Amino acid sequence: MFKDLTKILAIDVEKCTGCRNCELACSIHHTGTFNPRRARIQVIKEERKDLVVPIVCLQCESPLCEKACPNGAIQRNEFGTLYVNNEVCIGCQNCVAACIYGGIEIDPYTRKAIKCDLCGGDPACIKACDYGAITFVESSPKGRLQRAKGVEVLSQIFEASFAEAEE
Amino acid sequence: MTFPYKGYAGQYLDIDLSKGKVLKRKMEEEWARLYLGGTGVAAKILWDRTGPKTNPFSPQNIVVVGTGPLTGVMFSPSGRFMFASKSPLTGVWAESHAGGFFGPEMKYAGVDFIIFNGRSPKPVYLFLRDGKAELLDASALWGRETAETTDMIREQHKNPEIETAVIGPAGENQVLYSCIIVDYYRAAGRTGIGAVLGSKNVKGIAASGSLGLEAYDMEKYLAANEGEMEKLNDPLWKESLSSLRRYGTTDLVAIINEIGRLPTKNHWTGFYEDADDIGPEAIATKFRIAQEACHGCAIGCKYIYKIMDGPFVGGPAGGPEYETLMAFGSNCMNNDLASIIHLGTKCDLLGLDTISCGKSISFAMDLWEQGILTEKDTGGLDLSWGNVDSMVQLVEMIAKREGLGRLLSKGVRKAAEKIGGDAWKYAVHVKGLEASGQDPRAHQSVGLTYATNVRGADHLRSLSSLEELGYPEIVTQRFGEEKTEAILDIMSPRHKGELVWDMEDLYAIVDSAVICKYGTMWPPVFYFDTFSNVITPLTGMKEWSDPKYVRRTAERISHLRRAFNHRLGITRKEETLPKRLLQDPMPTGPSKGGLPDLAEMLDEYYDFRGCDRETGYPRKEKLLELGLDYVAKDLEQRKMLR
Ligand code: SF4
Ligand code: SF4
Ligand code: SF4
Repeated sequence: MFKDLTKILAIDVEKCTGCRNCELACSIHHTGTFNPRRARIQVIKEERKDLVVPIVCLQCESPLCEKACPNGAIQRNEFGTLYVNNEVCIGCQNCVAACIYGGIEIDPYTRKAIKCDLCGGDPACIKACDYGAITFVESSPKGRLQRAKGVEVLSQIFEASFAEAEE
Repeated sequence: MTFPYKGYAGQYLDIDLSKGKVLKRKMEEEWARLYLGGTGVAAKILWDRTGPKTNPFSPQNIVVVGTGPLTGVMFSPSGRFMFASKSPLTGVWAESHAGGFFGPEMKYAGVDFIIFNGRSPKPVYLFLRDGKAELLDASALWGRETAETTDMIREQHKNPEIETAVIGPAGENQVLYSCIIVDYYRAAGRTGIGAVLGSKNVKGIAASGSLGLEAYDMEKYLAANEGEMEKLNDPLWKESLSSLRRYGTTDLVAIINEIGRLPTKNHWTGFYEDADDIGPEAIATKFRIAQEACHGCAIGCKYIYKIMDGPFVGGPAGGPEYETLMAFGSNCMNNDLASIIHLGTKCDLLGLDTISCGKSISFAMDLWEQGILTEKDTGGLDLSWGNVDSMVQLVEMIAKREGLGRLLSKGVRKAAEKIGGDAWKYAVHVKGLEASGQDPRAHQSVGLTYATNVRGADHLRSLSSLEELGYPEIVTQRFGEEKTEAILDIMSPRHKGELVWDMEDLYAIVDSAVICKYGTMWPPVFYFDTFSNVITPLTGMKEWSDPKYVRRTAERISHLRRAFNHRLGITRKEETLPKRLLQDPMPTGPSKGGLPDLAEMLDEYYDFRGCDRETGYPRKEKLLELGLDYVAKDLEQRKMLR
């Protein structure tokens, strides 16, 4: 029915310098403005711990966001990538709460959900990253492993902050 | 009507601290067209609002916080912004830039410029959020170190995305070379603007914004931008760029020591025998843990360190730059690298400029060696060269202005005046600003740069790296075949007046745009055409596509800043060098015997600048040609026009 999802974004946090150029590029591509807060990729920083992690949709095999949406706004586009249909999204934030990876967010301007659509197969963020921290990998087991490495750091941060919260 | 030019947020804040009022105003079109942004616009505002009688610590002094059209719009490296004021350290033009993320954030929050006027009756900080701007109570932040201040502000607003520019205890205590710390460890370091904010009871600024910025013609702008990025990726710069990425500015310790220009022992010489101990490899192997970059920057010269053991356990935090390694290292004869890193971070936390602070300490160490300062004066501190314990204590004492720290908190010029006798011979400064990490005895044009820099002895207004790094193609392109050889000869004064004049104008635009010096100063990728390529599609200001217009604007800005200083008493007499750098031949190292031919270079510089050789004052026709009629009129009344 749909074209196969063949590629996903993998992030190498070791290479990331936290420059936020990926955010800028994403916002230009999707909004025609320079506005990192409207980017589909978000660089999370904790300077005091030297943590810098770009967070972006993982293009899950069984997407929690899609399941959580009461309106069916999260749909597959012609490339088979999940995207948010702006016409249908009501900005209820159920998807934001559902995604445990922080991959989907509310656009501060439209108040509707936004997530990475892989730029239709030609990711702007990859071109903008001068440090080679973002790559486009096959959605094969190996590619998913690469992606998982990025997520690992993420879960470490969350664990750390959970632990702190509990203390 | 909204502001017609894109790339700008379109608004500035005129803040009356005394009344606690924040006035939002539409950006002035004339500012953008005639002065672009950053230092250019700040010069116009400071010229208009201050005068010869303005006491730097009085409510009448102002602090301008400025971005430029290129701040935060993806041009690499454009994560920068600046502060300007009348300096409490030097009494003349004050300007200091910083990278990081605050500048773009300020624009995304809706503001291009902030003008702080007056004095707040109680501690406040300015909070910017999507078009909103308010002065909030800072009494709980007062007295805190800079990192803690940022933590607390983020906590207060439950928003980790907030970026900050804050002062530390040093600024509150009005140490004359207090800096402003941006995003934890970037610094608007020089000329003491942190102390001016302190005198106004302003702890800092915090911003978080999602308003975004537009381009006049996005497609054309991105294409022009791409063209400039291609220049950056030219194999010609590969070496410089990969060094910046790998070591940041720490590589300069090795490069500069090799040519005998590394200030050592309070600028006594330019060669440090133990340079390897504090150099790039030592840092990279022992302490560096990650690379960092400012907003949207493809160069990425920043790094994070961590010290795992020993007396100076610390980090992760931003690692020291070349200047800090020089100021607390070679110039104090201190080869204990961990201690230098520690001192750098301590200065960041207390809000001290590492250059002026380190140089004030090396000055005191020199006086100790000469027997001019004794235990009686130091309160028992032993100021022998490289005494790390004393250095650590002194930094704290300076920030608190206690004991000897009180004297040194005034900088070397004022401290030398207080001490009297021969002390002035060891005070290495121009116009009251402690010299940065260069030496004109090993690099002629540095002498002219130091002498003419509107903020004092510092490289950042006009340093030429062309002869230092040797880029013959670039020199020929810019100055012509027949001058190439002389310009490339680092110890020849020939054509250096023209060279420094040209650099000063180039940096005037760089500092107005506002972008980083990396990419223009080192390596010399961007030139005037860069700006005529990108400014028009970004902003829609048609005149900017004319390279001649760009140059004329640059000259206008340079002259306006110079005029600001003339009005405060600066003439050729003050545009000079300290005795040590002008009269004492380099005693050791690769540049042994070197001395700058300052007078010859100054003459040529004044000719190119359109100034009178005898006084340094501008010629009337020059100012009129640049559209600075109001400046000409003012200077004429003061008999400062030729
Ligand atoms: S552009 Fe690359 S280096 Fe910069 S923040 Fe994004 S992933 Fe990191
Ligand atoms: S692939 Fe495109 S949409 Fe996804 S984060 Fe990158 S720039 Fe944004
Ligand atoms: S070159 Fe360095 S200082 Fe300049 S913007 Fe890039 S990271 Fe920042």
